[in-house]
Amino acid sequence: MFVDTVIEDKALHKPVFLIGLSLTVLAIFFALNFTNTIFGEFLRPVIGAPTESGFFGRFAVSLVLTIIFVGNLFAISFFKLKVQVAIVWVELFLLFLAFAYSFDLKMSFIQSRIPLMISRGLFTTIYISAISILIATVIAIIGAIAKLSNNGFAYAISSFYTSLFRGLPLLLQLFLIYKGLPQLGFMVDAVPAAITALSLCYGAYMTEIFRAGIQSIPKGQWEASRALGFKFSLIMRKIILPQAIPIIVPPTGNQFIAMLKDSSLASVLGVWELMYLARTLGQRDFRHMEMLLTAAMIYWVLTIVLEIIQARIEEKYKQKS
Amino acid sequence: MNIKFDLNKATLVLTAALLSINMSAKAGVVYDYIKANNELMIATDANWAPFSYIDDDGEMQGFDVEVGREIAKRMGVEARFITPDWDVITAGNWNMRWDVSVGSMTPTASRSEVLNFPATYYYTPAAFAVHTDSPVTTLAGLNGKNICTTAASTWEMYLQGNLDMLNAPAFTYDVTPGTITSLKDGSMCADDTRLGAGVRNDGFIDSVPMIQGAIEAGYPIRFLGDPAFHEPLSLATDLGNDDPELDAELARIIAEMQKDYTLSLLSIQHFKNADGSSEDYTIAY
Repeated sequence: MFVDTVIEDKALHKPVFLIGLSLTVLAIFFALNFTNTIFGEFLRPVIGAPTESGFFGRFAVSLVLTIIFVGNLFAISFFKLKVQVAIVWVELFLLFLAFAYSFDLKMSFIQSRIPLMISRGLFTTIYISAISILIATVIAIIGAIAKLSNNGFAYAISSFYTSLFRGLPLLLQLFLIYKGLPQLGFMVDAVPAAITALSLCYGAYMTEIFRAGIQSIPKGQWEASRALGFKFSLIMRKIILPQAIPIIVPPTGNQFIAMLKDSSLASVLGVWELMYLARTLGQRDFRHMEMLLTAAMIYWVLTIVLEIIQARIEEKYKQKS
Repeated sequence: MNIKFDLNKATLVLTAALLSINMSAKAGVVYDYIKANNELMIATDANWAPFSYIDDDGEMQGFDVEVGREIAKRMGVEARFITPDWDVITAGNWNMRWDVSVGSMTPTASRSEVLNFPATYYYTPAAFAVHTDSPVTTLAGLNGKNICTTAASTWEMYLQGNLDMLNAPAFTYDVTPGTITSLKDGSMCADDTRLGAGVRNDGFIDSVPMIQGAIEAGYPIRFLGDPAFHEPLSLATDLGNDDPELDAELARIIAEMQKDYTLSLLSIQHFKNADGSSEDYTIAY
């Protein structure tokens, strides 16, 4: 929420806005045409066979959907903010469940494969991401310091590095490392290749994050430290980094969450991580949607957990500063 | 600075020298490595039921997988499976990441530029399939239509009119598609075809056992006409490795498995027809 003291009236409670919104929503529903979907089936008693209901059917379905949608918004607007958030979350989640349900999923199939997806797939995904983020962090610290230094070589190397690795798609880097390095005589297997590509790519992004974080510390801090006779490494460790880290942590958490999902690119090299198993386990029985949705839920839950952890860490640094 | 530069040069020359030694001394080196490591590393795409797939327990299963296990057993070593994408396998230059592909690969002239084909172990027909509601009834009906297939496959080469199979029965190009949609694997094509005739594609081409499996899984698709062509399917090794010892050993084992009907038995186990009868695909056409 914005930290603003002026809170305006609820837009939804102004008739003009309400009518305008209703008309817009009606137009959108009409354009999308839900007549031949499950909603048309519900209205069968009114509009007859959905496929033959024509303009009237299409309009009736759109109108009913609009009333449900706007009515729902209007009703929610009377609750307290926290309740509103909860209701909307539940509603959207139910919609997602309905979306999943519409595929006629075979639950027993999902149940029989979940243990493997977690024990093998999730485990691999997490350990690839965790190792990569550690290496990327080390690269980022070195890269940021090099990029801020007055040493021409260090600056040139680190700026070339960030430019190159932010400039290429991650998948391309993965192939360059996996296929290219062995031709130079360095054998890399699929998992090390994936970890290398992820570390280098995210290291480049995080170099920029670290650099920006260090640069955001006012010049006065440096001048004061120098005036006290501190040496560079001591200033860095004791003065600058402790202040920069609270600024660096939130975007770094974002990078980690993003990396967790980008590790799915390792699936093209045949690494049995979550995405690979999601694509492959449904093959024999031609039940692809089951596995894809299961993987989707696992990724999502994992991300929620990480978001909570990230919020905790941010909270901790907020208290400190 | 100068010293540093020279050092770099020296390492470069040394690396180049080592590399060239490696190249020339490779004969037999892969086979020795397999024996020494007591492990045969087999590449096979895991997205191809009933040829190779992952079962409920996370184990590789399927016809190709069982053939691979049997080869390793007869070689007296352990089998380990690696599951790279199909186009990564066909591209060659394996750099000893794996020793052999037991992945139903058809020997073609273009592939033989990077791969060796030591032994053909079975033969499958390739056929077109369309949605059950499709108005198309003959292969000629697919001319000018949008046909789906697997990238870097013999089926794609067939659609492009440049299928250069080696030692294969004669065939004719019966279909000239208007658009070729090349996807990662055959099941993605089947998923698109099931949406309806002409929605994302007008039909797809794949091996008969794969289409059979999709039909048995309840996909609304049907075979179109007779099989378009028959392809021999072979083991493959990396041409760059140049290891005649390994190739000879693989050829010997496959010949042995043909002789004692192991291959036929495996085929009958894994390949079923629409009426539930079994199919022995190991007999040459």
